[in-house]
Amino acid sequence: MSDRRPYVRPMPRDWWARRPFRHYTIRELSGVTIAIYAAVLLSGLVALLQGPAAWEIWRGWLASPASLVLHAVLLVAMIWHLRTWFQILPKTMPKLVVGGSPVPQRLITLIGTSVAIVCSTALVAFVLWRPF
Amino acid sequence: MTERADKTIELSVLRYNPETDEKPHHQSFTVPYTRDMSVLQGLQWIKDTVDGSLTFRWSCRMAICGSCGMMINGEPKLACHTLLRDLAPGPVTVEPLAHFPIERDLVVTVDDFVKKIESVTPWLIPKHPKPVSEGPYNQTPAQLEAYENFSACINCMLCYAACPQYGENPKFVGPAAMAILQRYNGDSRDDGSALRIDAVHGEDGVWGCTAVGACSDVCPKAVDPMHAVNQNKMNTALDYFLRFLKKRDAK
Ligand code: SF4
Ligand code: FES
Repeated sequence: MSDRRPYVRPMPRDWWARRPFRHYTIRELSGVTIAIYAAVLLSGLVALLQGPAAWEIWRGWLASPASLVLHAVLLVAMIWHLRTWFQILPKTMPKLVVGGSPVPQRLITLIGTSVAIVCSTALVAFVLWRPF
Repeated sequence: MTERADKTIELSVLRYNPETDEKPHHQSFTVPYTRDMSVLQGLQWIKDTVDGSLTFRWSCRMAICGSCGMMINGEPKLACHTLLRDLAPGPVTVEPLAHFPIERDLVVTVDDFVKKIESVTPWLIPKHPKPVSEGPYNQTPAQLEAYENFSACINCMLCYAACPQYGENPKFVGPAAMAILQRYNGDSRDDGSALRIDAVHGEDGVWGCTAVGACSDVCPKAVDPMHAVNQNKMNTALDYFLRFLKKRDAK
């Protein structure tokens, strides 16, 4: 005879807002930044197509305080995403074994992050000095 | 006990008796403890001196058998590997592993987990089986490294209790099953990955994972199941695309 009556606990609706999952939720949300940046660029392209007047309005909007605040927020979110994305990078790729011992995940994260920082800095320098 | 227990700590334990309780409820116990006492020893003290009906699992008391997993202050932990002194001054909540049905008190139903482990064909399948008299299948240290940490899994289920995807969808194959799958797929002596592909593919396979990563954080054996799951995302993607190439080759 069995008196089994397993009790199934419901999953809390807001699990994603609780510790330790909050960190994950923020990482995923910061990925939306890329879509927003893309939308800003796309609207610029559309303005360019519409002619000089529209282009100037778009440029004017870019320089507005609202746009500057938006860009500052997007930049912070982007940097956060970059940081956390490289933290999970070693777990999304095959295990690297060099000379019989696995490459530490922290080293992979460090290399990836460094490459991203070098490339971004080079791009910013290129745009600022405009060698053309 | 060599030391005298002069301190106490409160353990708030989730109780559930299927014969009398509609649903689980917390019960508090004041437990005297010494510097070297684990949460498991605290529970054993309660069972020995206060309430013999308190039900929980354990065996080795040395973080090897994987039986004593439970939620301690909301985190999946091995009770034998968690010291009361580190949780002082308390109170400490002790609950059964999250995402699993509760049988009684701290004991959860493991059937689903065991089925998942079985579903990955967790043994070596050599390409050309040979008798023992022909000697061992040799392996280089680098080949061993490719899967060694995945072989450390003790089936404690902490990673499932940490995985919100498993909580949302109990059909999701989950972290430990993928770690064990990768332990064999990654072994140079094994040739059984085709047999295991069904567990990886499909609606409840690896793509149910959204890379939360809590499984690897809570694993007491540094198995890194998140890495195993994600390696298999890559493998299924390759398998999916290579299938078309393979068909063309066959013609
Ligand atoms: S992968 Fe780690 S946490 Fe999961 S069952 Fe194995 S040992 Fe436990
Ligand atoms: S009793 Fe064996 S792992 Fe804790």
